[in-house]
Amino acid sequence: MDAKLLLSVDIGSTYTKGGLFRLEGAELRLVGREVIPTTVDDLGRGFTRVREAVLSRHAGAAAASAVPVYWSSSARGGLKIAAVGLTPDLTLSVARMAATSAGGKVIRAYSYELAPEDLADLRDIAPDIILFTGGTDGGNSRVVLHNAAQLAGLETPAVILYAGNRKVRDQVAAILRGRDVALAGNVMPEVGTIDIEPARDVIRRVFLERIVDGKGLSSVVTEAGREPLPTPLAVFELARTIAESVPGWEDFALIDMGGATTDFYSHTRSFHGGDAIILRGLVEPTLKRTVEGDLGLRVSAEALFRSEAAFLEGRLRAAGADTAPLKSYVEEVSRRTDFLPADPAGQSFDRLLASACVRAASIRHAGVIQRVFTPQGGFEVQRGKDLRQVRRLVGSGGFLAGETVADLLLEACAPGTDDPDLRHLTPVSPACYADAEYLIPLLGNLAADFPGAAARAAVAGLKPLTPRTN
Amino acid sequence: MDAPRIILGVIGADCHSVGNKILDAYFTEAGFHVVNLGVMVSQDEFLDAAVESDAAAILVSSLYGHGLIDCEGLRQKAVERGLDRILLYVGGNLVVGKTPYEEVERKFKAMGFDRVFSPRVDLADVVKMLRADIEARKG
Repeated sequence: MDAKLLLSVDIGSTYTKGGLFRLEGAELRLVGREVIPTTVDDLGRGFTRVREAVLSRHAGAAAASAVPVYWSSSARGGLKIAAVGLTPDLTLSVARMAATSAGGKVIRAYSYELAPEDLADLRDIAPDIILFTGGTDGGNSRVVLHNAAQLAGLETPAVILYAGNRKVRDQVAAILRGRDVALAGNVMPEVGTIDIEPARDVIRRVFLERIVDGKGLSSVVTEAGREPLPTPLAVFELARTIAESVPGWEDFALIDMGGATTDFYSHTRSFHGGDAIILRGLVEPTLKRTVEGDLGLRVSAEALFRSEAAFLEGRLRAAGADTAPLKSYVEEVSRRTDFLPADPAGQSFDRLLASACVRAASIRHAGVIQRVFTPQGGFEVQRGKDLRQVRRLVGSGGFLAGETVADLLLEACAPGTDDPDLRHLTPVSPACYADAEYLIPLLGNLAADFPGAAARAAVAGLKPLTPRTN
Repeated sequence: MDAPRIILGVIGADCHSVGNKILDAYFTEAGFHVVNLGVMVSQDEFLDAAVESDAAAILVSSLYGHGLIDCEGLRQKAVERGLDRILLYVGGNLVVGKTPYEEVERKFKAMGFDRVFSPRVDLADVVKMLRADIEARKG
């Protein structure tokens, strides 16, 4: 019997990648892969070219029509979500979590009553989905109904997904009748209880059924014979199956750094307890993704230069260098987003910018622990997610995939703070890996149908990195 | 009709957790929907929880003697956050030393609390007052 061949394609904002895999028993093996620049004007053209290149070079005698195609896309800005919540620290914070965990990018977030200027803003930023939350089940309905009435009058092609107070769900649906509406369970049914799976599931379905068309992907759906996944969702699901099916990978993190964003995924228990540690705020999910829109090496280089100025200046000063050359480099690469430096100066600038992205993405993803002194003695108060149990750290995306030593990834670990009583809960000393063949998104596409095999193949394809020895 | 929602927690840097668990069990048993925030709860956390849950009352505990400073301004903040009609209860060892209870009650009522309790109060009485106060507020 012939081993089964599977093709996986990822249409990224810069490159379109294709990989051919062979299913041998319960294992997946890479047969060959191809990469071309994404054809931004017509995404389907690049898809066809990659598909044909992979099949003609690697599939041998197999009939092209007999090879199933799985695919994902993050082109044209990915899946843009505007989040609406009630209080910033509760429902709005959970709405952000749901949106990023579904592979979306939160382009704007609104709390309390939507004001007329918020509606004008929503019209201008044109999100794909408005994730509308607020109130616990049986809780606040006043603000929720106000916001429903506001959204009913908004001119937008966006799908409005209501995932707030269940008690007024029917009323909200009635107010929004005639609009493109989807409904999901409340993301925060009770204060402190997070339930993002139902909303995640609906976001995925909405992406497939209603958004794919608008991204110019319908011709690809016809050619592939299958609906796509948003790329970050494919990676998210692969991360879940790696943690669940590969021994020793229960606690790990993955950093995907690109020109525009840095994505951080972690799979580890959020809070480990202990008598002297008190958790404040929400218990974050075991599998979590964050997206940092101001941390990137090209499109976002200027934003990075601003938000991480103190770190960048500190590193340059320590090396006896001035910031002016870095500033002009940043201005240059943010205009020429496909620029790859050939000279050592440019390469070391990229490395420095990458360090800033890795470090900041890790600090923002992780929580903090603060030592407090109370009349009952010293306690530690944890806020956010504890990543100290993370044993393995994977770098993916163009720059990190090409790393040969662990030093850059280790920037994610335990950066100091100015306050001796405050610690970031970043990974401590994880084993580091590079996704050298850039297989993670490709195997992510296969994770739903072949979970264990995709997870094992992803881990087998990683290159272990060790710190540079001086 | 839904059970009235009440927010429970120990304010400030106070880690006394036993009484908090007893209150949670008692008020739940008495038919309230209790949203328990546990120990070391800030004013903003009480108010966020009350806004999201549409709570009828916030029950603040303080056992370590710093209640006055921790509770100061809670009423004003509640009003600013749109919780104009919420009931504020406070109880515990509210101040250090042997200040007479009447004096403590006067101070906390001046800060906008509706009811102030000493550690010796019978919880059955509190439940009765809470039901009556919630009913009265509805009008």
